[in-house]
Amino acid sequence: MKVLVTVKRVIDYNVKIRVKPDGSDVDLTNVKMAINPFCEIAVEEAVRLKEQGIASEIVVVSIGPANAQEQLRTALALGADRAILVESEANTESLNVAKLLAKVVEQEQPSLVIMGKQAIDSDNNQTGQMLAALCDMPQATFASEVRIADDKVTVTREIDGGLQTLAMPLPAVVTTDLRLNEPRFAKLPNIMKAKRKPLETLTPETLGVSLSAHTRLVSVAPPAQRSAGVKVASVEELVDKLKNEAKVI
Amino acid sequence: MDFALNDIQQMLQDSADKFIHNKYDFETRQKHSKSELGYSEDNWQLFAELGWLALPFEEEFGGLDGNATDVMVLMTELGKGLLVEPYVSTVIMAGNAIQRCGTDEQKAELIGSIVGGELKLAFAATEAQAPADIKAITTTATGSGDSVKINGKKSVVLHAASADKLIVAARTDTDTIGLYIVDASAEGISAHHYPTNDGGRASDLTFKDVNATQLGDSNDVAAAIQAVLNDAVVAVSAEAVSLMDKMLNATVEYTKVRKQFDVPIAKFQVLQHNMVDMFMECEQARSMLYYAAITIGEGNAEAANKASQFLKWKVGQAARLVGQTAVQLHGGMGVTDELDVGHMFKRLTMINTLFGSMDYHLDSLVKQRQAA
Repeated sequence: MKVLVTVKRVIDYNVKIRVKPDGSDVDLTNVKMAINPFCEIAVEEAVRLKEQGIASEIVVVSIGPANAQEQLRTALALGADRAILVESEANTESLNVAKLLAKVVEQEQPSLVIMGKQAIDSDNNQTGQMLAALCDMPQATFASEVRIADDKVTVTREIDGGLQTLAMPLPAVVTTDLRLNEPRFAKLPNIMKAKRKPLETLTPETLGVSLSAHTRLVSVAPPAQRSAGVKVASVEELVDKLKNEAKVI
Repeated sequence: MDFALNDIQQMLQDSADKFIHNKYDFETRQKHSKSELGYSEDNWQLFAELGWLALPFEEEFGGLDGNATDVMVLMTELGKGLLVEPYVSTVIMAGNAIQRCGTDEQKAELIGSIVGGELKLAFAATEAQAPADIKAITTTATGSGDSVKINGKKSVVLHAASADKLIVAARTDTDTIGLYIVDASAEGISAHHYPTNDGGRASDLTFKDVNATQLGDSNDVAAAIQAVLNDAVVAVSAEAVSLMDKMLNATVEYTKVRKQFDVPIAKFQVLQHNMVDMFMECEQARSMLYYAAITIGEGNAEAANKASQFLKWKVGQAARLVGQTAVQLHGGMGVTDELDVGHMFKRLTMINTLFGSMDYHLDSLVKQRQAA
């Protein structure tokens, strides 16, 4: 069974985000980049399926600038077999990404597509759902457990107030939630082997997809600065402030 | 000059950075440091699994053929967590000595076990009167081959309590310095084990007619021991540079939020000057670290020895200024047990005393210059 896993290059989650002074976007100058954590969970799940003998090949795909190769190499070091980079500097909004991925799915014909539920930079939570619609595949989002048997995938989903279990025929799209697994650290011998694994570079043109902008980024603003705490004289004053100022009780 | 890391080094750095972030926060480190063993055996097995224990060894013996720069990259990341596992003593020192001096049989047996995480070693070279100068070693080794007897004392042997075997430097019958493999539980060894100021472990060892086996075919390996110490200097200096960076960042952040006279203390010019001085020392120490790692990797022994001494001096000087200033600018809480700043300063202070202090190396460099 072939598994396709998507990987997005985002700002490392440990980095403190800076906004450009004109508020036009996030400042990426000299910022450490990494695999989107949800995508890393997707890679880990695919590797576990391979270790269980369920998956036979793991293909990782990323859409982004040329240096997104770094994140693909990391995915290869974690256990993926080969990588595809669709090189695109602009218009990587969800619908465009889903269209490009749909073309890759058409070429690769995977039995299962595993994606992060959302990227930590734009927090859209759209691409997996769009890809499933474009490919006419069943989808299960926010997966906290994935089991595969008899050409069927059973996915436990985290929903408000509980868990929901879905069964779908393959091929299907699954998006990962935070608690699906804990990604491993890349082993040094595998890091060295990753260098020799195949990485194919495509472009939107070679895939026959024209990218058009459906949305426009108007502005970006950092969160409001946290104000200093105050000391209260009594429990009554605290309750009063929580009730009337903070309005939390 | 291009100091950018290659792809493999970048991924090694990312992997080690992730380990420190996810598995080695300050509280976890303190827990390991205060445990009976002084470190985490689970972490040690993870290091084996990740290939970190194999990094500097030859591929032929199960290693990954890493060089001084690769080790520097790994140690820079591990240093951020104030690592207490015996990586320097087992891999960088004892394992390195086996690789440089051992016979093929010894390398296959011992390096293979280090890489697998089954064997921990301590490198017993330093003595009270010889903290860095190999020529001053007085511990003796009499006999040859498998029937050597060791007599003498070794001081501040890192992680000797958890070691399965010791690699001991001793003076031979022919007045050369050789290396000897000693079972850590051998009869005739008396040990005083103690925690070090930085949360690590060390021991003072006394050897009385202790059975030992010569490491390798030669009993004249002073140059190889010096090369091992040079590699160890790069490793701990990489730790020191990353700690200094961390202290600088912590200090800058703290002064932005700590208010006095209704303004953040970072607004005070005199404190800004202090932090600029910290920054300059960090950068100079980093430059010297790169210079030494590259020079040592080139294999010219004389240049490597000198580069290692320059590095140890510069790092010692920078660490003192950065550490003291960080503690001063944090105020009283800079020396509390709960804040990592004081612990980082302790580690920097310990690094300054390891393998010869900055004063020792400066004095040695001046004497070399005068003699030239």
